[in-house]
Amino acid sequence: MVPEEDIKSALRKVPWFDNLTPEHFNKTAEMSQLRHAKAGEIFFHEGDKQDYVYIVLEGRVSLDIFVPHHGKVRFYTAEPNDVFGWSSVTPSVRQRTAGAMAVLDSIVVCIDAEKLRQFADEDHDFGYLLMRRLTNVVASRLMITRLQLIDMFAGPTEQKND
Amino acid sequence: MTDKTLTIGSTVALPKPELDLLMADLRNNGFQTVGPHLQDESIVYKEIAGLKDLPRGITTEQTPASFRMIQTGKERYFDFIPGSQSWKQFLFPPSHLLFSAVKEGKWQLKENDEPAPHYALIGVRACELAAIGIQDKVFLRDDFSDPIYRHRREGLFILAVNCLDPDATCFCASMGTGPRHTGGFDLCLTELDDVFLVEVGSELGRSLLSARNFELPLAFVQNTANQAMERAAHSMVRSMDTSDLPGLLTGNLDAERWMEIGKRCLSCANCTQVCPTCFCWNATDQVDILGKATRRERLWDSCFNPNYSYVVGGNTRPNIRSRYRQWLTHKLGTWKDQFGVLGCVGCGRCITWCPAGIDLTEEVAAIRAEVLA
Amino acid sequence: MTTTLINTAAHSAGYANKLLLPHWAEIVKIIPEAEGVSTFHLKFTDPEVQSRYHFEPGQFNMLYIPGYGEAAISMSSDLETANGLLVHTIRHIGNVTKAANRLKVGDVVGIRGPFGTSWPLDAIEGMDVVIACGGIGLPPLRGAIYQIIRNREKYGKITLLYGARTPADLMYPSEYETWQKAGFDMQVTVDRGDDTWTGRVGVVPMWFYHFRVDPHKTAILTCGPEIMMRFVIYEALARRIPSDHIYISLERNMKCGQGACGHCQQGPYFICKDGPVFPFRALENIFNVEEY
Repeated sequence: MVPEEDIKSALRKVPWFDNLTPEHFNKTAEMSQLRHAKAGEIFFHEGDKQDYVYIVLEGRVSLDIFVPHHGKVRFYTAEPNDVFGWSSVTPSVRQRTAGAMAVLDSIVVCIDAEKLRQFADEDHDFGYLLMRRLTNVVASRLMITRLQLIDMFAGPTEQKND
Repeated sequence: MTDKTLTIGSTVALPKPELDLLMADLRNNGFQTVGPHLQDESIVYKEIAGLKDLPRGITTEQTPASFRMIQTGKERYFDFIPGSQSWKQFLFPPSHLLFSAVKEGKWQLKENDEPAPHYALIGVRACELAAIGIQDKVFLRDDFSDPIYRHRREGLFILAVNCLDPDATCFCASMGTGPRHTGGFDLCLTELDDVFLVEVGSELGRSLLSARNFELPLAFVQNTANQAMERAAHSMVRSMDTSDLPGLLTGNLDAERWMEIGKRCLSCANCTQVCPTCFCWNATDQVDILGKATRRERLWDSCFNPNYSYVVGGNTRPNIRSRYRQWLTHKLGTWKDQFGVLGCVGCGRCITWCPAGIDLTEEVAAIRAEVLA
Repeated sequence: MTTTLINTAAHSAGYANKLLLPHWAEIVKIIPEAEGVSTFHLKFTDPEVQSRYHFEPGQFNMLYIPGYGEAAISMSSDLETANGLLVHTIRHIGNVTKAANRLKVGDVVGIRGPFGTSWPLDAIEGMDVVIACGGIGLPPLRGAIYQIIRNREKYGKITLLYGARTPADLMYPSEYETWQKAGFDMQVTVDRGDDTWTGRVGVVPMWFYHFRVDPHKTAILTCGPEIMMRFVIYEALARRIPSDHIYISLERNMKCGQGACGHCQQGPYFICKDGPVFPFRALENIFNVEEY
């Protein structure tokens, strides 16, 4: 377990936590832990019921989905300051829809998603801020997914339409 | 004794048979005389030998998507309004061999060194001469000079004719290009029942006309011609308001009207092929079956052809509405950015020869109405 | 609008009066780059033509294959690095470029050029430079990369964002180390990776989410699929980088390279002569118009 001050100083470096009130910041820090992961270490598998939301401090974490006949397809990598496992914050998703693995030696913040949801329910000011920032994460993911879906580098014969 | 010395700007009366001799003189001077000729139930421009090849006693009735010829029985040669062809085909040939290449060990190039013909255009209307002026700006620029066009243009004799009987698709008056010539010709005719009035525009024109048996015109003849030209200018039923061009079109690329036109336009490319200013071209290789000899040709192209804007990965203008928008915003818009003038002379060919009867004057007015609404 | 377009096109091979007449060039070397992509090193067969041929990175040649026709292909190097040879990285995807794939060392092709505008390497001196490219958009920037490295002290931070479909599609991977040694921050990203890929997976524009730029001293050079450039431009503008510091290279159907055939028009521009490299300011009103 990492001392509490380490967590706080780690969280302060993350733009995502900018402008939280001291109370909100401390409360978030209480729910968080730091995890040092070696390259190849798994954070969760597709289908896991594990309940954390993560922020990468250093390194790189891949998100993969297993596609029958294709094996694991890596569709996203979370870079420093990136959030992954964000669907744990929504009230209804309880199962991991992708697997997460450190591709480089990484340091990540793990936030207990159940506590986070509970606090958001109790304190709507915090809850609003949390959801607003989460919306940014989701919006950027959607943008990236759209650009991948378009398959912009494919040749004309590989593209679906036309 | 009268003074029959001609100078540039002189106007004389020329008995009609004398035009035949003038054309013969042109041919004797190395010109290929090309002019209007009745063919294929239309009027085409092709090589003609003399008066007998001109469409005598013919007027036309042109409306959107309709071209009719009517026999008048009159001894007049230029009463019609031109058909689908324009002089563009002589200066900017629809197909032209650029070079051939043969593989004998390595590829060898052979340039097409066939000399350019010297054309004498017989019966160029004011809008048509304005169109040649526009193509001069397109093909003869500081940064690019088209050799095929330039060689033909340099050796061009222009026998102009003033329009006296515009058709319903004409709108040259509103474009400021006609119906009366204002210069740029070698000789210019105004046709009356019995005689041509001929104005001298160049030294060569003066010299050729000097050899003919002309007369000095009396006031009555000149007045008759002037009145006829005046009438022609005021008889045009169509017009284009150019006061807010090009901004009206280039500033309203999202107008609803484009969608609406897209439903009627067939993307057949007729408008671009009959247009006397449209200049787009393609280059293709005609290769023999063994792949050892090829002819590289330049061909007319059109922004309405699906392949026109093909890039790897797709067509930048897959929909007809965007092709029509490209054509019209270029012709009446960005053309001005590129060449300093609008690309339309008001000849009306695109209206007559559009199978869907799309009328650009109406479309511009509709866009204006939509924007002002 | 007061944008000045940079046109350094000197028609140095001299054939202003010969419409579409190419000069022959011999293929000296062919380097396979990726699936369906290879690099050709070419030398004019006429030494006189070779000696007066000059170009700037960002310009392009029309490459002619007898019997097939011409394709506009960017310069993929600069003259110094390639010892005066012409270097063209070609994706074998169209009629002409597929035919190019069947050519061998010693074969000849026709070349006309150079045409068009070049990357504004003088105008962006003293600035941080973000080079944002994707797929076959890297080759047109490679000459600029070489020139920046050669004059490294004239520029601030250099970031190279490069996106490709898969790791196997990445071009010139053997050169990345040199570029990094020259102080380039290399951010390579692919649309999808496999287990062995430890690099980034995502898309080029997302780099802007995680890095800060100084909008007053940052220039963007972008080349790649138009949709990618569109999002790079959105992100750059959102970070208040002025539109005349964003340079974009456009691709259109081209038949002549001289603003004559009409094909490559977009708005008032002939992309072949007024472009292919434009300051985005010149395109602001037309770039995002659908199908224009």
